[in-house]
Amino acid sequence: MRTTFITLCLVCLVCQAAFSAKLRILPEFLRPGPFGQPVAADLEGRNQVQRNSSEKYSISTARGAYLSFHLVVSMAVPGEYKVSVEITDRSGKLELDAFKEWFHFTDSNKSYYPDALVPVSLPHSSRLPDPDNRIEKQTAQAYWIDVWVPADAIPGVYKGQARLTAEGKTTRTPIELRVLDATVPAEDVVIIDHNSYGSGWLSGMYGGIPVPSEESFRLTHGYHRLLYEHRGVFHQLGYGHGGKVISEFAPELAGSGRSKRITSWDKYDRHYGPLLDGSAFKGTRRGPRPIPFVYLPINPEWPASFLWWGERGYEAEFVKVMAEMEQHFREKGWTETRFELFFNHKKRYKAFPWDGDETRFAEDDAYFREYRRLLKKALPADTPVNFVFRNDTSWSMERQFESLAGVIDFWVCGSSIFSWYPHATARLKGRGDIVWLYGGAPGVTQVSTAITENPLRIWLYGVDGWVHWLTTNPGEDPWFHFKGGTEVLAYPGERFGIRAPIPSVRLKLQRNCLQDLALADSLKTRVRLDTLKAEITRRYNNTRPADWWTPRPALADKPPFEWSNATIDGANKAAGKATTYDSSAWDRVRAYVLEVASETK
Amino acid sequence: MNSHGTLRCGATALLAMCFQLIVLADDPPGNAGRDIGRELDEMARIASVMVDGDLCERIMTARALDFLFRVDPRDPWAASDNFDVNHEPYIRTKKTLIRLSRLVPYPCDVNLWMPVKGKPGKIQVLIRNVNEWSQFWTWGMLTQDTPAEMDRVLKTGKRETVRVKPGMISVLAPVTNSLGDTVGLVEVVAYQPDYAAPQVHARVR
Repeated sequence: MRTTFITLCLVCLVCQAAFSAKLRILPEFLRPGPFGQPVAADLEGRNQVQRNSSEKYSISTARGAYLSFHLVVSMAVPGEYKVSVEITDRSGKLELDAFKEWFHFTDSNKSYYPDALVPVSLPHSSRLPDPDNRIEKQTAQAYWIDVWVPADAIPGVYKGQARLTAEGKTTRTPIELRVLDATVPAEDVVIIDHNSYGSGWLSGMYGGIPVPSEESFRLTHGYHRLLYEHRGVFHQLGYGHGGKVISEFAPELAGSGRSKRITSWDKYDRHYGPLLDGSAFKGTRRGPRPIPFVYLPINPEWPASFLWWGERGYEAEFVKVMAEMEQHFREKGWTETRFELFFNHKKRYKAFPWDGDETRFAEDDAYFREYRRLLKKALPADTPVNFVFRNDTSWSMERQFESLAGVIDFWVCGSSIFSWYPHATARLKGRGDIVWLYGGAPGVTQVSTAITENPLRIWLYGVDGWVHWLTTNPGEDPWFHFKGGTEVLAYPGERFGIRAPIPSVRLKLQRNCLQDLALADSLKTRVRLDTLKAEITRRYNNTRPADWWTPRPALADKPPFEWSNATIDGANKAAGKATTYDSSAWDRVRAYVLEVASETK
Repeated sequence: MNSHGTLRCGATALLAMCFQLIVLADDPPGNAGRDIGRELDEMARIASVMVDGDLCERIMTARALDFLFRVDPRDPWAASDNFDVNHEPYIRTKKTLIRLSRLVPYPCDVNLWMPVKGKPGKIQVLIRNVNEWSQFWTWGMLTQDTPAEMDRVLKTGKRETVRVKPGMISVLAPVTNSLGDTVGLVEVVAYQPDYAAPQVHARVR
């Protein structure tokens, strides 16, 4: 009798295993793992994580926006499967994109995190364990699903389903999309910039292609397109710390002193032309438009040689070439982009005697004044071309906000130190300056919501943008020995036969956050902005907007050259409250924003 | 910002007289077949004459020097964050190095290396130039152990040619002060014509 019972149990278990394939849908901020459980960092503070295959998944969105979720295939035994998603849309407006989520193994904590997104077509067939990802005993594969709901989509409820066929059986998960009347503005309220350096890395990541070349330009435009479609901006700095310009980032020059001149725009125009006239963005969902910002190649060694610094020849060379550049940009009609005069060098790198980046010593400010004078001399007073003088500042920002007033009109400020100066926003914005903050991108080991912290901070502070200082460096082996991803948000697709960048989970979470912020800000015509901010911070992590600023430390009243990183870190510990949140934080914000948007139609 | 125009004109004339292989920088390259090693050696010989060791000794600020080897486990960037130079001697020396690099028609850098006062066996590159080439510099390092080749140049006062990195040729030459002491050295560096130099290092904020 006992033997029979055990046998029956085993038969049941075998049967259960034989029909073990499951399909689940997880909300976007709950990242799946390769063994069926969500990423641990995203589980803290969450109540509901499991969904049955048959349970309907409902999700709401405004128009002019993406909505996203993870589709997770689980199989207890190895085997093949086919997965698909269908949405019934008689108008044909909604578009669906699917991506296979790559599970990166991080050496630091021996865990797997989904991040790189490999485009796939649906229905998609594969098997578990995934032969490419090579995870021993993998039992779950995740897909990121984007549904693009254009601004002219018809509001209402759309029904659909996700379907899994495996082990000779098909399971279905009903999906219900509720499209609201509200529309996310096309313009962002927060600019998120993705920075990079040079172009040589393209060769390393894409099969040794020559740089520059038509192929490298196509790839470069691909990065711009990818980030633009994700409501972002892309920057590439085109010169080194010693002042050498990389050929496709600057026009060619000849001569010296009075005879210094531009001799060719060929590479520059092939590189930048389609970006500055917007044609590189044809066919995107957001439509073609010129890039909003671009670095100029200007540095202490270009276009004027540092050999002439302080002499008439320096001014002659600088003014002559800058005037020719202005003329070229004007004749091309490149008047919608802000061209940034920006210095990246530091004296610690031993090529110039002053800090252009993160200036620490007050005597260095004189160089900025001189370059403003030269720029003014070079440009016609009525130029329609937008030139801005950008300064990336940290230690000395409070002093420089005053000492360089009227010299610098584009400030990129270290985020933690800026948080000591709540008065700065009104001061800088009041005189028409652009203000961005900078820092690193959150790594994959952090809670998923970390990618929303700084966009939200920018909006709360009332400044203009955020710079992820490096976003194209995946590290030596991102696929099997990942360093965490704090320097990458767009991966090279080469490994998957895609000669283009591919997105990441974090990039998509960031895009969806930016959509919500744009929508939230648009509601200020009906709800006081203070009220919106207060409610959003409350829902995000039970804070007030004031909690996002750091009390001014005593340190701030000492000269910056007396500060150290240790004392700065100590001062910033007081800012901890705002940086604690769970993976549901943005879901709560979105629910509120959509709720208000629905009410205020 | 610079009141040394007279000195500059004098220096130019002297350079022109000294250098037997003068070629204007705007000349067409046509570098194939050139004996670049010999040309760089000649440039290095001239650099030893032209670079002012007393001026070089005044480049580092005393404060920066004080921080250079300070170890603070809570602030690993203390030395680099406090790195500073006196602008006038720096600029005058850098201009001389740039002039020297223009003695040949192909890309060339002339770097200044200075032993660190009070730290035997330690040296730092103090001025680099546009191409950022060096046989010895590890990118981002403030100071490093003195390479054997440099140590020999500092001790003997004799020039030395180094060919360690593929295609790169460096010639080291002593820099002396008014007392006749060897206080530093220059690294004259270029690539052989048949080598493509790597893209310049633009990264790191």
